[in-house]
Amino acid sequence: MIPWNILFPETASFDFVAPGILLAVAVTCLAVSLYLLLPKSGRSSKTARRLGWLLGLITLSLFIITGQRLGNLGEEAAFLMVSLVAVVSAAATITCRSPVYAAIWFALCLAGVSGVLLVLGAQFLGVATIVVYAGAILVMFLFVLMLAQPTGLTTSDRITNEPMLSTVAGAVLLGLLSLSIGRLSAEEPLCCRPPSRAAALGGTAVNQRPNESIDLLASDQVARLGGELFGHHLVAVEAVGILLLVALIGAIAIVSNGLEGSQTEASSLQEGSQT
Amino acid sequence: MTFTILFGTSLALLQNGLMVGAILLSLGLIGILSRRNLIVMFLSAELMLQGISVSLVAWSRYHGDFGGHVLVVFVLSVAACEAAIALVFVLQAFTRTGRLDSTAWQTLREATIDRSIDHEIPSLDTSLPNFPRLTPAGRSPTPDEQASAQRDHV
Repeated sequence: MIPWNILFPETASFDFVAPGILLAVAVTCLAVSLYLLLPKSGRSSKTARRLGWLLGLITLSLFIITGQRLGNLGEEAAFLMVSLVAVVSAAATITCRSPVYAAIWFALCLAGVSGVLLVLGAQFLGVATIVVYAGAILVMFLFVLMLAQPTGLTTSDRITNEPMLSTVAGAVLLGLLSLSIGRLSAEEPLCCRPPSRAAALGGTAVNQRPNESIDLLASDQVARLGGELFGHHLVAVEAVGILLLVALIGAIAIVSNGLEGSQTEASSLQEGSQT
Repeated sequence: MTFTILFGTSLALLQNGLMVGAILLSLGLIGILSRRNLIVMFLSAELMLQGISVSLVAWSRYHGDFGGHVLVVFVLSVAACEAAIALVFVLQAFTRTGRLDSTAWQTLREATIDRSIDHEIPSLDTSLPNFPRLTPAGRSPTPDEQASAQRDHV
């Protein structure tokens, strides 16, 4: 066990403050700092942006203080680092003016998220997030961005719709979520205990007690995930395959329709200029 | 295995993972509500999906089964479909209006409904930035009004 009072002496003095109040202060600071950092019409003053950064730092430290101690310095440090990368670059994604920079910040956020997934024991998903998102989806976004907006920033990038209302909405959502997360307790309520997995499946007695039998960090975890995916969820996998096919055909159909339209327009324009 | 010993299953890990997921989700919500660039709006939607993925994996870790992992695999594939369709629509919208601005589509309506503008497009502050003041020498130059009014691509 780590003596946290030695590492963070101020946490001892925070004991008299309820963690709910700290969370409320953190959520409010987050909302104000995002409001200050979001691009607004005109030139936002440097002081406002610096205040936004300062409030963002305060928010992060408050979230770190109110977060649950994992009781292990290595685990704590790993989780803290990757989640800080994810959260900070997510905030930079939505506050960055240039959409290209926003996409690159989003790539960094994906790196952080995949780190969080790795810490949480999802090896396959951590790698798949990088491969699918950063390797495919993000590159597609960047292609569209460069096709559509080669000249740089437009006015719409420097103005946001209702920054006050949207930050308030996000803060309310985060406050409600953190309230319900803080109330989670280890004991399952007796009244509504879910049926066991073996009873639900009705098949052979799978004597798997949660939290002890399945080791998520075993070396054959990916193989077992594959077995789960193609065993219990085979129909869903087929459905997702059909969904991907439909999306592919739909995208090609829409694009080719648009291309035909623009080609006929272009050819008519060319004919008009030739005649 | 030292790794297993290092990363034990606990409620604290679940709560921290859920908290990170909630923060990502609400940041994505703020982004999708406030930004006007269509691409950045879709990036924010992907950010919300990332938050959901983190929460699902945290629950999966807590319960010790693969349910959350399987759901995240489906989330990934649905996100890929969504990105493909969305980018096609963004390209179509761009070829029609020439802008990647969602406000350009605020008058989209059915033929029987009256045209209403929900949100006036705010104009930029076109005044010149605060250049450092030097001692005046010679006559003052005549500013190009067109250039100062149409500083779109700075």
